Amino acid sequence: MKLKTASKLPALLTVVEAQPLTDLAEVELKGCYISDLLSDVLANAEPGVLWVTIQIHRNVVSVASMKDITAVLFTCGRKPEPDIIAEAAEKGIMLLSTTLTTYETAGKLWKAGLR
Amino acid sequence: MTLGVPVEKKKAAARVAQNANGHKRFRSAHARLAIAARKPVIPPTGTLKGGMPGDPATLEPAIPAPAVERAPNPAEKRQVSLAQMLVFELRVRDAMTSPPITAIATDSLRSIQNLMKAHRISGVPILANNVLVGIVSIEDIINALDSGHINEPVEPWMSRKIVTLRDHFSLVRAVAEFDRHGYGRFPVLDANNQLVGVITRGDITICLMHQLERRAEEAVAKEAALVATRAADEKAHRIVINTDVKSGDFESAGKLSQRIREVLRARGVAPEILRRAAIIAYEAETNIIIHSLGGRINTSIDAIKVRIKAIDRGPGIENVDLAMQEGWSTAGPLARELGFGAGMGLPNIKRCADEFVIQSELGGGTRLQAAVFLQKAGTTL
Repeated sequence: MKLKTASKLPALLTVVEAQPLTDLAEVELKGCYISDLLSDVLANAEPGVLWVTIQIHRNVVSVASMKDITAVLFTCGRKPEPDIIAEAAEKGIMLLSTTLTTYETAGKLWKAGLR
Repeated sequence: MTLGVPVEKKKAAARVAQNANGHKRFRSAHARLAIAARKPVIPPTGTLKGGMPGDPATLEPAIPAPAVERAPNPAEKRQVSLAQMLVFELRVRDAMTSPPITAIATDSLRSIQNLMKAHRISGVPILANNVLVGIVSIEDIINALDSGHINEPVEPWMSRKIVTLRDHFSLVRAVAEFDRHGYGRFPVLDANNQLVGVITRGDITICLMHQLERRAEEAVAKEAALVATRAADEKAHRIVINTDVKSGDFESAGKLSQRIREVLRARGVAPEILRRAAIIAYEAETNIIIHSLGGRINTSIDAIKVRIKAIDRGPGIENVDLAMQEGWSTAGPLARELGFGAGMGLPNIKRCADEFVIQSELGGGTRLQAAVFLQKAGTTL
């Protein structure tokens, strides 16, 4: 039961103390993928997941869009430029940012039941 | 005068009449025939002689008939033209009932009456030694019943004044002959003077109706085929996207693959296939941005596949085999900082592609060609 609630996006917001950068929809995440290498994400991420990365440039949005990734969570307090956020919103990709490190973020997400 | 339309043809006529369009054409054909009948266009030809056995009088082929005057209503122009064309185009052999129902000279009028009843026809050609010698109409039978010679042999009572048509005559000529002679039917002879059929006005009408219906169906089928071809062309319509890619232009990366995704999505391509094509384009694009002095990507999309051809101006790959290995990269610090240079670009492309070729030469350029087939399921990413 806890697992199911924890895989929903707005619920995870509190878990990782994240701030939404775009509008967030009530969606179920199919899992999580963590990588700062774009080709790695292109090769290995599944569609519908949350992608955790410190990369904040435009290509993150391109890669996320290409892989039909549901949401991207930026760690270490990093935030993309407003025009990149706008581009993501336009492509239907949700963006969040947390001040936690990637390691802390991963631990909390795992503990919350996002597998 | 009764039209001797055999049962089969009456059924066919009923079938055609049920069809709303057929009915319309039917009327049109009638109108046309009426015009042709009112205005005989055939110069009087042929001779009428008492038929001696072996010498049936025959109308010899006429001079080609001049075009019939146009029907006045322009709205009907097309249909009338078609019917008009058909009466010239179609031959007596196309419309006649063949083989004909015949009797021989020694048969009784009673047996011929039964024959007419059985076949629902109103006239029977009489043969002697396989040669046309006379004809008996339903009027002859009525007269025989009246005068009481119905059980006598037909020979003395049959009409020897026979007008025949040749099987190669046009229907417009046949119509004119019906009008000229007022007969209900004509025996039809082939080039060897053999009786090959009987033709009535009804036969002509039905033949025209069938032809008109067939032409209309053909026209509809042709139109449908044309529409289908057009749709297929539209679907197969190739889209070519030629993109210049600048060295170091990370900001532009992804635009091409986005465009490819849009085109493929609009064409209803499966997400898995679409994703592979987009990844190839993206990796090819970033490869040129990161590693080359600049280049060009030519993408062509048709109904069969997406073909992506990436050509750069160098400096070329020293060892293509190494470059194809996952994790091996020559990317600089900037690219790496941006998350590129994982050494996965080329392996990713190869994995996503159904066809993959790479040629490179140090000091020259790199030429990469990859294709994704749109209609079969490929490897899932």
